[in-house]
Amino acid sequence: MLLEKHLKLTLCFLFLLTAQLYAQQQNLKGKIVDAKDNIPLIGATVQSETEETITNEDGEFVLQNQKLPFTVKINYIGYAAQEIVIRSFDILKVKLLKDSNQLDEVLISSGYLSQKKTEFSGSVSTISAKQLQNRPSTSFDQLLGGQGTGIDVIQSTSVLNNTPVIRVRGLNTITSGLFPLIVVDGVAVFTGSLGGFVGNNPLSAINPNDIASVDVLKDASASAIYGSRAANGVMVITTKKGKKGKTRFNYNSWFSRSTPYNLPKLLNAEDYTMIKNEALVNAGKAPGFFLSKNADGSTVNTNWYDVAYEPGYSSNHNINISGANETTQYYFSLDYTNQNSFIKNNTFQNYMTRLNISHELNKFIRAGVNLSYSNAKNAGPNTGAVAGNTLSSSTYNTEYITNEPLGRMTYVLPPNVPVYNPDGSYSIQNGISVGYGANIPSIIGTINAYNLAMVQELDLTTSISKSLLGNVYAEFDIAKKVTFRTSFGLNTIGLENKLFLNPIHGGGASYNGVATNIATDLSRTDWANTISYKNSFNENHNFMILAGYERIKTTLESWGASQSNVTDTYYKNYQGSYANISPIGNDLSENALISYFTNLNYNYKNKYFLTLNYRIDGLSALSEGNKYGNFGGGSVSWNLMEESFFNGSKLKGFLNNLKLRASYGIVGNSEIGNYPAIGTYSSSTYGGAPTLGYSQTANPDLKWETSSKLDLGLNFAMLNNRISVEFDYYNNKIRDLILKTPQALSAGIPNNYINENVGGMYNTGYEIGINALAVTTGNFNWNVNLNLSTLKNKVTSLASDVFVPSVFGVQNMTRVGYSIGSVFAVPNKGVNPENGQMIFINSQGKEVQYNHIGSPKWTYLDGNAAPAIDNYKDGVIQGPSLPKLFGGFNNTFSYKNFVLAVNLTFAQGNKLYNGTRATNSDQRYFNNGEFIKNRWTTPGQITDVQKLYYGDNVSAGFSFSSTSKVEDGSFVKLKNISLGYTVPLEASFLKNTFSSVYVYLQGNNLYTFTKYRGSDPEVSINGNSINSGKDQNVPPNAQVYTLGLNIGF
Amino acid sequence: MKKYILISWAILIFTSACNDDLLDTEPETSIPESIAFSTPAKILAQTNNLYKQLQNQSFYGGRFIVFNEQRADQFGQNDGNAATGSAVWNQNVASTNDFVNNVWAVGYAAINASNILISKMNETTVISKEQAKNYIAEAKFVRAFCYFSLIQTYAKPYNQDKNSLGLPLRLTPVTTSGNNDLARSSVEMVYTQILKDLDEAETDLPVSYTTPLLNTSRAKKCTAIALKTRVLLVQNNFERVIAESKKIVSPTLPFQYTEGTLTQKLETNYTAIFGGNYTGTEAVFSIPFANSTTETPSAQYSLAYNYLAQPIIFLAAAGIVSDPAFNSGTDARSALIGTSAANQKVLKKFSVTTAPFRDYVPVIRYAEILLNYAEAAAHINDLETSKALLKAVRNRADPGYVFPENEMATKEALITTIQKERDIELLGEGFRLMDLQRKVQTLPAKKGSIGTAPLVLPTSSNYIWPIPSGEISTNHLMVPNP
Repeated sequence: MLLEKHLKLTLCFLFLLTAQLYAQQQNLKGKIVDAKDNIPLIGATVQSETEETITNEDGEFVLQNQKLPFTVKINYIGYAAQEIVIRSFDILKVKLLKDSNQLDEVLISSGYLSQKKTEFSGSVSTISAKQLQNRPSTSFDQLLGGQGTGIDVIQSTSVLNNTPVIRVRGLNTITSGLFPLIVVDGVAVFTGSLGGFVGNNPLSAINPNDIASVDVLKDASASAIYGSRAANGVMVITTKKGKKGKTRFNYNSWFSRSTPYNLPKLLNAEDYTMIKNEALVNAGKAPGFFLSKNADGSTVNTNWYDVAYEPGYSSNHNINISGANETTQYYFSLDYTNQNSFIKNNTFQNYMTRLNISHELNKFIRAGVNLSYSNAKNAGPNTGAVAGNTLSSSTYNTEYITNEPLGRMTYVLPPNVPVYNPDGSYSIQNGISVGYGANIPSIIGTINAYNLAMVQELDLTTSISKSLLGNVYAEFDIAKKVTFRTSFGLNTIGLENKLFLNPIHGGGASYNGVATNIATDLSRTDWANTISYKNSFNENHNFMILAGYERIKTTLESWGASQSNVTDTYYKNYQGSYANISPIGNDLSENALISYFTNLNYNYKNKYFLTLNYRIDGLSALSEGNKYGNFGGGSVSWNLMEESFFNGSKLKGFLNNLKLRASYGIVGNSEIGNYPAIGTYSSSTYGGAPTLGYSQTANPDLKWETSSKLDLGLNFAMLNNRISVEFDYYNNKIRDLILKTPQALSAGIPNNYINENVGGMYNTGYEIGINALAVTTGNFNWNVNLNLSTLKNKVTSLASDVFVPSVFGVQNMTRVGYSIGSVFAVPNKGVNPENGQMIFINSQGKEVQYNHIGSPKWTYLDGNAAPAIDNYKDGVIQGPSLPKLFGGFNNTFSYKNFVLAVNLTFAQGNKLYNGTRATNSDQRYFNNGEFIKNRWTTPGQITDVQKLYYGDNVSAGFSFSSTSKVEDGSFVKLKNISLGYTVPLEASFLKNTFSSVYVYLQGNNLYTFTKYRGSDPEVSINGNSINSGKDQNVPPNAQVYTLGLNIGF
Repeated sequence: MKKYILISWAILIFTSACNDDLLDTEPETSIPESIAFSTPAKILAQTNNLYKQLQNQSFYGGRFIVFNEQRADQFGQNDGNAATGSAVWNQNVASTNDFVNNVWAVGYAAINASNILISKMNETTVISKEQAKNYIAEAKFVRAFCYFSLIQTYAKPYNQDKNSLGLPLRLTPVTTSGNNDLARSSVEMVYTQILKDLDEAETDLPVSYTTPLLNTSRAKKCTAIALKTRVLLVQNNFERVIAESKKIVSPTLPFQYTEGTLTQKLETNYTAIFGGNYTGTEAVFSIPFANSTTETPSAQYSLAYNYLAQPIIFLAAAGIVSDPAFNSGTDARSALIGTSAANQKVLKKFSVTTAPFRDYVPVIRYAEILLNYAEAAAHINDLETSKALLKAVRNRADPGYVFPENEMATKEALITTIQKERDIELLGEGFRLMDLQRKVQTLPAKKGSIGTAPLVLPTSSNYIWPIPSGEISTNHLMVPNP
């Protein structure tokens, strides 16, 4: 009995023991989600030493019979792998971070075909949707800066929807098109600036939220398939497609507030009056500037910045719906943006929609459509920052210095005059001058500055564009492994540009009011047909052959008129009544490109890769016999990791990927105008009788401008793909540059140039891109991306110097042996301590000084008359206007539900011409910078500001360029900081409503570390131009704070 | 089967698409060079275009005349902006100044247009030989006129040093590259060419055209002769000034030129010259404007805007505007002097102050011919002829006026008086600088509201404009002005 009892107990014990043993081998349950939006990851691999499973539809998994402690490895395509040591059987929740280092699965699209990045031998920078999302902008191109190697994007002004400067590996032409080719779902879209003085970037029709990826093809191998259009690089944009699974709804919105960043400090009314009177007295005149009083007895002290600028509030709403089943994928989006710049009355509204559908009709036929429509309205005052319309070529802004622009007015208007009269009307002297206040006109001369408040309110430029962009395509599997694809693409832009200038005051006064309307239709059709064959032999030889034919036709049709002399001041638009009308803006032109191309991709055992491209382009713009050009490229790459000698090597455990690449090819530039080769005569009238005048000189020998591009590259990834590095060396040589070759003015050739193939130059440099998952723990992750590019540009041959003569000096010079558009200025030796005069060094090496009231004005230091300084003859190249080094440094930190992104951009080695400081040093009625107070006043004084003479616009670098205004343009910019939070939904009442909610707060353009004394080293008046680095009278850039929300259903 | 249909369809598209003329585009808003001289109407339009070149707003459309006045001493500058020519007024222009480049470029564009037309007309079969000769003569007139304008601006005055460097003398058409390098001919050689062209133009030009507008706006026989009186006066070739003048000035009052239906003489009413239809008897050659901004200059380039609307330049108080003629009330010319809001005296000859600025620009007036003749006559001591011509000009404006005896007593006094009359009569029409420079006189200092512009000695480098940077950087045989 007792025994029995014991036995029972023992059994019982044993049982318990066994139970205990069993308990040690349990099942691990868990869930894998995306770290960012908490979306379950379906099909992720979960692996322990003994078991392996994949996650189900809800991202859940069960790993059976595990024994603590153990390690699980979690892998999911496109995400960073994680290893977690498991110490309990609590339900495991794992958040995986998307991994941009995952080379394997990244697809590179050349526009004609897609390839895995591992199989791709060319040099490409890929920018993913993630890098573009949740960043307020008017167009996606503004967001590319600092996001990839070799891409230099400069936001040169804060005017809404102004076209940024985009350069891929430097400047690749002098007078042909400067923009990279931008291809959206196979259609080459219009680039440039279309809205006159208010900007209007056609790329704003492409919604950043719709972009799946931007592949920037930088070398010849990658881009040669674009042949003659690839000289400036190619950006291939792929828009989003629906993914299998349940229908996804996303709602994204943001609200922002923008303010001017870093305005130059100007004199207040009291200091202004003192300084200007001192200059008058020095010039032998009586004081003429006096403080005036407001009605309440206070002193008038107008801050014209406050007149021009006020915080601007903007918002954006975006909805997209996407999904797919076995045969059909769809993506649909709607977007509305309403933006207000800090520049009063500068607004931008855009309504956009996109529909992408693809469908499998049967096993052999697939078809689809990608279509987007945008209706955008840009409006604003003339700021001087936008040169005017340009479809692609280099611009030279002459607008910045005229009377109308707002930027200049904020700098020059006297602070001691009122904005309004006591009765509330605008204080104006006459049609062109702001009210003089207490200043005496007969002493101070004409104030040729308008009342800013009045023209900013009444004179508006408006540009409305209606853009349709898309393609329809079909693919036929006409035989096993042979696919025929035909795609018809279309980009049309209906553009209406309007300008109204009021009849009372400002630029419209001498016309008694002007209203100009110009309507433009831009249209491009692109029909591409390709046939491709893909096969593998013996599993070792993998190849793909593509052959294609493409025809592209671009037409431009515009017409317009300018009405002046308004019959009643009531009318404020073109449709009102006016006495005079003149035609303006009429144009009708077209060009066409017919191309035949082929592409071969081959690899042996995924070890050795070969790509060959060949394209024949025929361009209507060239003359008979020269129309067709041959372009092509090739590349080889070697995937060392697949080599057997690596097996067993220690490196194998350390390196995940190692690839060497080399490419070479020849591409061209087709943005050379529509009829550059033929001679033309243009009609007009003389006294009402018809005239016919020489308007373009023929050059029947004009041929293709070609670039040969060499690229050597190395990719590797290590430490379990935690660090990946991409390194490139490039050398682009441009030959037979089509140049508007300056002709001797005395030849009397139209516009003084002939299109000729005369120039040569090169761009060379190194690029390095590093992606690292610096820290990956369960809760905290830190992803670092550094991209760095160097650039050396040198012009190797030209017929003669290329520059624009101006009464305001020559700041940029393109000359053989130097970087294109180098900053150019006359050497300045500072202020002569004895007499306060500016000393310059002329081309003879002699020091000459300038006395504005002297006779003679120019003397040697001994007082003898000297020849006047001549900007061209005495000017010296000061350095490149292109940065020698630039890039971005991007950090993403995530901790639990928080994500912090810190992005910096930087540039180094370029010179800037600080023309705004020259304006602010000018000794006419212009207001001056605070720095003017350091002016020379007593003999022996050492200072950099000369003795002030009223009317002096020479000493300080305004009438000709002086090295006193040449500055180093290097900077590091805290471009963007964003803090986001993923709202945990599991525990909330929203659980069943939303699948994800993400909120963020973001600051843009927060701080710039630079020695540059102007407001922003990125500011530039010439926009996309070879004449870069000139900052004069441009409004400052914006600082923007944004609150945003993403919701997924 | 379906598959094969598809394949053949694809092939069909491929082949059909390749055979078209997509690449053969032609401009639709301008005329190809190959047919630019193919019809009589096109050739006439080409001829009109020569004057269109002169009409350029940087040239005789307005600005060149303003620059000449800014460089001389009758005007003060109100506006310190370089775009309004403050550096021109300050006698401080550099080779990179765009005005310096523009005037030169526009002048040479007209010269090349003339050279092209001459060359085409020498071989044309589209129009009669007679008509072609007329057009060639017009081209030679325009070419001479441009060379004369440029040589006075960019080279030393003939009377200062006729052997100094003049202009690159281009007499054949340039329609291709490779023609950049050409050295400067001497001042004398350029003047020789100008007179040769004008002599040949005189021979082949028609006496008149069919309408007053055409008579005013295109060169006719007497236009070439009139211009010669100006050119020869600048060379101090008084004998020939008189010889040419006699061709177009009757020996007795009323001084006039009549040939066929054409009559050129002084207008009775002075102000009528600068208004109405602008095509009265006094207008020998003017730049016309259709009433639309397609022809008229923009604001800063127009005479009315510079002199009156803005005004960018005003009449310097110490200048000729202080002369009693402008203050008497009896002289009709005083009616064209006004006062600005800033209490400055301003010139009202060009009074259309709202765009389009369509006041015709007078280039050669009959009054100038009389004064050229008068000055030449005085120089050769034909004082009676000289006085009669001078009085004709004065008394047209002020019929009761009698010159004080001492102002006409001697040759020297008479020449001084004639110069003063020129200053009064031609004020604002761009003559003062030429008159100072042909006499190799100092450009006096002058006051404006932006300060004082210094005097310029004939020996100073800024007595003439620099050769533009656009020429120096491309023409390797070009020697800059010192």
